[in-house]
This record gives sequence, C-alpha cells and structure tokens, in this order.
Amino acid sequence: MAAAPPSDFNGGKVESSEAGSKWLDAHYDPLASIHTFSACLALADLHGDGEYKLVVGDLGPGGQQPRLKVLKGPRVLTESPLSELPAAAVTFLKDHHEPRTPALALASGPCVYVYKNLRPYFKFSLPPLPVNPLEEDLWDQAKEDRIDPLTLKEMLEGIREKAEVPLSVQSLRFLQLELSEMEAFVNQHKSKAIKRQTVITTMTTLKKNLADEDAVSCLVLGTENRELLVLDPEAFTTLATMKLPSVPAFLEVSGQFDVEFRLAAACRNGNVYILRRDSKCPKYCIELSAQPVGLVRVHKVLVVGSNQDSLHGFTHKGKRLWTVQMPAAILTMNLLEQHSRGLQAVMAGLANGEVRIYQDKTLLNVIRTPDAVTSLCFGRFGREDNTLIMTTRGGGLIIKILKRTAVFVEGGGELGPPPAQATKLSVPRKTRLYVDQTLREREAGTAMHRTFQTDLYLLRLRAARAYVQALESSLSPVSATAREPLKLHAVVQGLGPTFKLTLHLQNTSAARPLLGLLVCFLHNEALYALPRAFFKVPLLVPGLSYPLETFVESLSDKGISDVIKVLVLREGQSAPLLSAHINMPVSEGLAAA
Amino acid sequence: MAEERHPTRTQFPASAETQKPHLKKAPEFPILEKQNWLIHLHYIRKDYEACKAIIKQQLQETQGLCEYAIYVQALIFRLEGNIQESLELFQTCAVLSPQCADNLKQVARSLFLLGKHKAATEVYNEAAKLNQKDWEIYHNLGVCYIYLKQFNKAQDQLHHALQLNRHDLTYIMLGKIHLLVGDLDKAMEIYKKAVEFSPENTELLTTLGLLYLQVGIYQKAFEHLGNALTYDPINYKAILAAGSMMQTHGDFDVALTKYRVVASAVPESPPLWNNIGMCFFGKKKYVAAISCLKRANYLAPFDWKILYNLGLVHLTMQQYASAFHFLSAAINFQPKMGELYMLLAVALTNLEDTENAKRAYDKAVCLDKYNPLINLNYAVLLYNQGEKRDALTQYQEMEKKVNLLKDSSSLEYDSEMVEMAQKLGAALQVGEALVWTKSVKDPKSKQRTTSTSKASGFQQPLGSNQALGQAMSSAAAYSKLPSAAKIYHSPSNARKHGVS
Repeated sequence: MAAAPPSDFNGGKVESSEAGSKWLDAHYDPLASIHTFSACLALADLHGDGEYKLVVGDLGPGGQQPRLKVLKGPRVLTESPLSELPAAAVTFLKDHHEPRTPALALASGPCVYVYKNLRPYFKFSLPPLPVNPLEEDLWDQAKEDRIDPLTLKEMLEGIREKAEVPLSVQSLRFLQLELSEMEAFVNQHKSKAIKRQTVITTMTTLKKNLADEDAVSCLVLGTENRELLVLDPEAFTTLATMKLPSVPAFLEVSGQFDVEFRLAAACRNGNVYILRRDSKCPKYCIELSAQPVGLVRVHKVLVVGSNQDSLHGFTHKGKRLWTVQMPAAILTMNLLEQHSRGLQAVMAGLANGEVRIYQDKTLLNVIRTPDAVTSLCFGRFGREDNTLIMTTRGGGLIIKILKRTAVFVEGGGELGPPPAQATKLSVPRKTRLYVDQTLREREAGTAMHRTFQTDLYLLRLRAARAYVQALESSLSPVSATAREPLKLHAVVQGLGPTFKLTLHLQNTSAARPLLGLLVCFLHNEALYALPRAFFKVPLLVPGLSYPLETFVESLSDKGISDVIKVLVLREGQSAPLLSAHINMPVSEGLAAA
Repeated sequence: MAEERHPTRTQFPASAETQKPHLKKAPEFPILEKQNWLIHLHYIRKDYEACKAIIKQQLQETQGLCEYAIYVQALIFRLEGNIQESLELFQTCAVLSPQCADNLKQVARSLFLLGKHKAATEVYNEAAKLNQKDWEIYHNLGVCYIYLKQFNKAQDQLHHALQLNRHDLTYIMLGKIHLLVGDLDKAMEIYKKAVEFSPENTELLTTLGLLYLQVGIYQKAFEHLGNALTYDPINYKAILAAGSMMQTHGDFDVALTKYRVVASAVPESPPLWNNIGMCFFGKKKYVAAISCLKRANYLAPFDWKILYNLGLVHLTMQQYASAFHFLSAAINFQPKMGELYMLLAVALTNLEDTENAKRAYDKAVCLDKYNPLINLNYAVLLYNQGEKRDALTQYQEMEKKVNLLKDSSSLEYDSEMVEMAQKLGAALQVGEALVWTKSVKDPKSKQRTTSTSKASGFQQPLGSNQALGQAMSSAAAYSKLPSAAKIYHSPSNARKHGVS
C-alpha cells in the first residue's frame, strides 16, 4: 500500500512462499481484532476523495460486540457500535447525484441500515410476515377474555400441527408454559398484536438498468423465511419478491434488474437455485449433496465451494463443468478481479492456512498465511488497485498487494507427480543373523523339517492324550454327556484370608430341567476350610445361570495357595459329570497381618 | 413496507442507548431465527465450538424454541458420534415443525446410523409423503433396503432417486447392489452410465477400472484407472491396481515409483507391501522381497495370497522348510486352490518327503482342472521315482489340458516349462509333443534363468528342482495367479502412466 508508512509493517511478517512471490506484504497485524466474514467486507471510495476505504462489519470477539469499522490504510478511521450482528455489508450507488459517492448498506437482523458519507441515512425494515388468521382470532378472543388459557392452548396446538403459516413467537412461548403460568402470560401479552418477523441472512447488489461500473444498483436481500427481495435504490420499496425452497446463505447476481438478470442462491439445504428476471421461483437447481460454503461467479461459470473440501464449477444452467479437490476445508471464498489484465479468478481460504487462487480448475497461486483466513476481499484499497485483504480466525488482519509486474500463469501452483513419489520406500532391513539362518536352512532344511514334524506329532499326541484323560475323568468344566448338558464357571472374590467362591452353573439343554445334582469340593484341609464341602444343587431351569456361593477360609499363614477341585455329581453316581480346578489366590490379608 | 423515511435517528444502531424505553412494556420477544445465519456460517466452516456457543446462547434466549439451533446442534452431535442424542434432538425438531420433511429425513438418518434400518425406512417413507421430489429420501431408502437385504426394493428406490435427480452416490449404491448379487455385467453397465454422467469422479473411474480388470478387459481397465490417476494422482486404489498391471508387464521399477506415493499415504496397507514385495521378487532382490512380504503378512496375517507369495519366494531361496510352513498356512486359509498344493508338493519333494509330496500332488490334480503345470510337475516327480506308468498318465493329462487351453485362451507358456515337457516326453517316449509348437510365444518368465542350465541333468533327482522353477514362474507369468494384490492384475499398455 502506497499510503501505508513503513512503520506499519509488523514484526511477524507474513510468510511468503517463495522469493519470487507475486505479492508484496503490506501489513500484518495479528491483533487487529477483526472477526468477520467475507460478506461483511466491502471496499469503496466512501468520501469521494479517491481514497478507497475498507468497511468491516465486525462481529467482535465471540460475536459479542458488533461494530462497524472503517479502515483507511491499516488504521481504523471510525468505529461505531451496532445493536445487532451484521450479516452483510455492501456499498452501492443509490442515485445519480454528484458527487457520486457510494452509500453503504449494512444488513443486520430484520433491518438494512444505509449510511451516506458514513452517517446514518436510512433504515429499511423487512415487512412483517402475515400471521395466521386463526391464531390472530384466538388472541383477539383472549383479549376480550372469551377464551380460557387451556382451550387457547389446545386450539393453538391444533394450528401448529396443520397450518401452513407457522405460529408467532408469542404463541409458541405460550405453548411451552405450565398451566399455572398461562393466566399471567395471557394477561400480560393479550393486548399486544401478534406479529411475525423475519431476518436478513444475506445481501448483495444488482445493477438497476446500466452495466457500467458506476451505475445505480438495487439491493438484493435473502431472508430467513426463504424469500429474495429486490429493493429500489432510491425509494427502498420492494421491486420484486422471489420464493425459494430453502433459506439462502449466499447470493450471486449478474445482469441488470430492468433488462435481464440471473440470480444464484446457495441455500441451507445444500442446493443452489438459479433464478431469472421473470421467474418467481427457481428455474434451475444444483444439488450439491453437501453444504455450500461459498458462491462466486467467474465470467459465466458459477463456482461453488462445498464443505466436502471441493470446488465445483457449474454453468448458469446448473450443469457441472469441473470439480477440484482441496487439501483442507474451505472457510471462505471471494472473487479476484484484476481489471488491468482482465483476469477473474476465485480465491478460497482454507482451514490449513492457505489461500488458493483458481482460474477454472487450474491453480494459479497459493498464499500461505500464519493463521487460517476466514474472510477475503480483493480490490482497490487506498490508492492501490490490486489489494488483497484477509482477516484470520484469530482476528488478525493481513493486507497484501499484487505486484504490478505479477502475471498469473497456469501451473503457478503444484505441478507434476505428488511429492511423495520422490521419497524412498522404507524397506525393512534384514540382519546378518537372518542371512546366516537362511544359509543354515538351505544346508539343513530337510533335517529341520523332519525335527519339526516329529516334535509337532509329539505335541499333538500329548495334547490328544491330555484331552482324552480330561474327558475320561470329567475334568472339563463343560459336561460332555448328552443327558446332562452343563456348564460351570467359577469366580473367586476377596483378598483373603476369607474368600468368596461363586460357582455359576448353567443347564445348557434346550428344554429339560435338571434335578438331583450335587456339588462337592475337594481341597487340602490343612490349607483351606469350607463351611460345607458338599451340597445339593436346586433344580436347574434350562438357560439360566445359577450362582452358588460359598466361603473359603485360608488357614495357612505362609502365603501359599492351592487348588480347590469342584465336582458336580449326579445322585447315586460316583463318576463326576464335570469338574473344575480353581487356582486359589494367595491370601493377601494374612500376609499383611 | 418501510416507507418510514423518518430522518429521526433514534432507531439507529449508532445510538443504541435510546432504545431502552422499549423495555418497559410487555417484553418484546426476540425473533427466533435471529442468529440462524450465523449458526449456519459457523457450521459450514466446521467451526463447531463457536457454533455450539451461539446455539447455547440462542436456545437460552428463545427458551429452546429455535428450531434451527436445535437442528444444527443435532447435526454436530451426530458428527461427534453421539447419534442417540442427535436422534432425540431431531425428534424435538420434528415436534416443533411437524410438516417439515427435512427433520424427518434427519431422524431417519440417525436411526440408520444407529443400525435401526427398519425404523429408518418407516420414517423415510413418512418423509417421502411430505416431499415427493427429494432424491435424497429415495436414495437413502434404497440404502436402507440394501442393509435389510431387500435388493429388489433397494433397486427400485435407487432408480426412482435417479429419475428425480442423478447423483454419483446413487450410481455407486446401485452398482454395489449388483456386485453384492454378483451380477458383474449389470454393475459395469451402471458404472459406465455413472462415468458418462460424471467423468471426473475418481471413485467411479477406479471401480469401473477394477471391474474391467476382473472381467479381463485390460485395455479399458487401464484407461479408466489412468483417468482416475490424472484427476487424483494420489488415489490409493487406482495406483495399486495400475501398479499391479505394470507388474504383470514386468515394469517393476515404474510400479515401485508409483507405490511410493501409496506408501506415504497408506503405509499400513497389506496389499501394498505384498505388491512391493513381488516387485522386488521380479527384480530378483529376494531378501527385500521377503522383508516386504513379511511386513504384509504381519499387517494381514490371515491373507492367504501373501502367504502364497511368501511360500513362493522361499522356494526360490531354497528355504524349503520355511516355504512349507507358509504354504501350509496358506492352505489352511484357502483349501480350494490346486496351485497351493502343487507348491507344497514341490517343497515337500525338496524336503525328501516323497510320500506326502505325492499326496499333495494328488490333491492338487483333483482340485485344479486347467493348470497343466501341476501335472507336469507331478509327472517329473513320478518319473524321478521310477514310476513311469503313472508319470505317463500325468503327462497325457497335461497334454489334454494344454490342448484345452490352446483353444480357449491366449495364455503364453513359459519356455522353460515347454522345454521340460518336451524332455519329459522324450524320456517317456511319447514322441514329440506337438501341442507346444503353436503356443510358444515370447516367453515372459522372469525365473527362466534359475534352472535352464540344469536341464540336462534330467534323470537325476535334480529334475524336481527344475519343476520348482516352473512352479514359481507360474505365479509370475499367469495372469490370474495372485502374485499381486487382490483382483488387480493384468497386461496391457502399462507404460502410459508409468512415466510421470
């Protein structure tokens, strides 16, 4: 910036990607405390003195202190508090009077505040929405005390269920109340006329009847009740109203209102609707199947950024032309227009701290910033034509100037194979030992194989033997006989010297209950004492797990433990149905004592 | 309208303090939707913390009546994985405005994510009644039906969705149904249409490429995979598939450079390390090959293809005992493949366990109907054992298979194998085997050198060693064998991508 004195250069300079960068770092203030969106940035010659100012609708830190800031160079020229958060700020020429200084419009809540020469000039409020006649009627009755609160509540609920026109806030609030509070609420509010108000979500400008740079423009508003309004620039009357299927979040307009125009509205349902002059409702629809995060028109191509980290190009009829994948989430988008070279491109601020500039699907330039950029604006600032203004997530302000010699060429960004292709593969290395073993295997492979096979057979044999033995002596905790399918598992609780031993016995048969079973404990009587070493099991219903509890007292104080065997027997048979070996833990209680 | 051109500046935000007198009357209700736009802006920027703060404030102000705030809160909950909470909030939204199809859609979506597909379909059907033009409802209905295994219904719904509006996602789902049913042709048709509709979708291109690979149309497969790579040069699936095609062509170096990209993107992919291992194998860097294959095996211990390759490499390294273990592990996972038994038999032969080797060959012969190599190897073993009669039977079996293959396909035979067969034929005195004369083209085998020098020692037990050479080459030269990962494999103009 020519106007900016060198002292304004901040210590923490904006990191420039390479020495031959196309940008001059004019200003970086990480503590500028500007929290805003691209929609709330505007550049204009507000005083008609040839010095372009930056208008910022600042949300304040945490969205708490909304302010209107006007910056001249890097300095804040004026700052005034706002009553509500600004949704959008635009500058436009509203009449033909000389000097032709643009007016500033700030959309906030249900109103548009228009400033001229930075002085408040006019306030436009959105017309109130029609209320449900039935609802109005009900409240009229309430006013005359012809209806009791309970009936009122029922009737209102009926309206909410069916009616096309939603209820007013007053009625909704009323429906939430407890019975006791209703009376007071009705008395307090009955005299007031019910009303429904909507808010502005987005705003842009549309040339009225001339395509010139300094032609008079209309304001186009998108509202929360899914409408688009076009306002007359002088009288602020509504020139046209258009209905949308969803709430508009971003608008993009081309053409002139009196001649022919195209309006693209990116909506909250993930669709972009395209309207024309004589259409009251959308003519084309682009379904993104993702949320749009920005909408920019470059010549005749609509560029939409989606929250799935991609940029899409569409024709004005909604046909998809191209898609580019981004390395990170897109935070904001805006148009870069370099009049001297007739260049139009899209800038996208990404979550990884990059600003990427695309012309169609070719990457022209990447700017790396110290913090993620949340709003972008390019244009004439001060007396410098091509200035890029960025604000960051942390509230910082970055101003860069495009070098006059800079030419954007295709392939200014990444080219060729991905960088990963140049890195070497990390093939795991093999040790000397491994090589020696390999050699040994080559020499004595057969012997190794034979030894292994012999051992394997021996192992299998022993396993089989042990298994057979377990089966023969019913050592397994699952009964193998078909008549008494049983499952047992045991849990030992406690630290000692007294433990609680819980046996979970389950009858796994499909339908047959089991009766006449006995449980017997075998243990070393020198080490453990059990109150009952032998007891009967109740009838076992199929499927249920029966916990059988008993206490075990550890008698030894030498810190040794033993195995307790649990046998489940059938009355009158000596061979157990199943058995379990419980490894008792060492008694810690005694060891400590 | 705002004809109130009053120059009074009392209402102006610049002088907010004059607004105070307003408050003495009955309290004005704040507009419920006042900050919806801000919530939305934060939401789409994925700035969920800021979003939640505003939602909280907004809900406090409106006493929980702001539907959109609840809606976004539910969306965030869902993104954070708290699906049950999100479901409850969406249900609240549906109560606040029962006529809104979108709320029902989200309720259904949460149900879907909770795995309650049946309940989800019911809610979607409800939503479809409110909004009949929404492709998303029908698409999601279709997806629900896929999970409920009602493929016909799913197809109907997805086709309906396509009629309303064409989306890549719907095509992908439709294709998936056909693949689940096993109808490759229909799936390809769907994917072809999808690629026509959106020619830059790399997922579609890759899938179609892989399908072409599977049916053996290599030219087209490579074309589509190549297209996918031009749009997304780090597409893992496409690189792996294209790489394995290059591998089949012997372009090991090019394939390896391609794999580097994948290695940095998905370093823990078993097929990747398998393919890298087989590249090194092709380049005769056996130790590196074993390292890579072992890593692959570590990452996917139950993948029999990796075990197969490990067995193969160890056979080449003459580590027959190790090879035996890998091959028998592979057989445990894939007991239906003749080649595995053949390799096992080769290992056993070298471990001087002829009895088991024969049994393995028997099993291989009875499992496999097309691979003449098995019979040849078996015949060699039998011949070396002096069982000429049985050897002759196997030899004739082999000739039969060769004749069969010659008619049906353009498989090329390894020259070494042909040579071996001819020698065996001579030894068995069956006369010159004419079957070979036509089929021998330029042999592609990479293992050729391992044993041609020993060909003369045919009568000696070494003969089986040569047969081993055959066995190994089989895995590299035959297109359907799994020397490379998964389904990816085949020849064609592999150079196309290799250059960049």
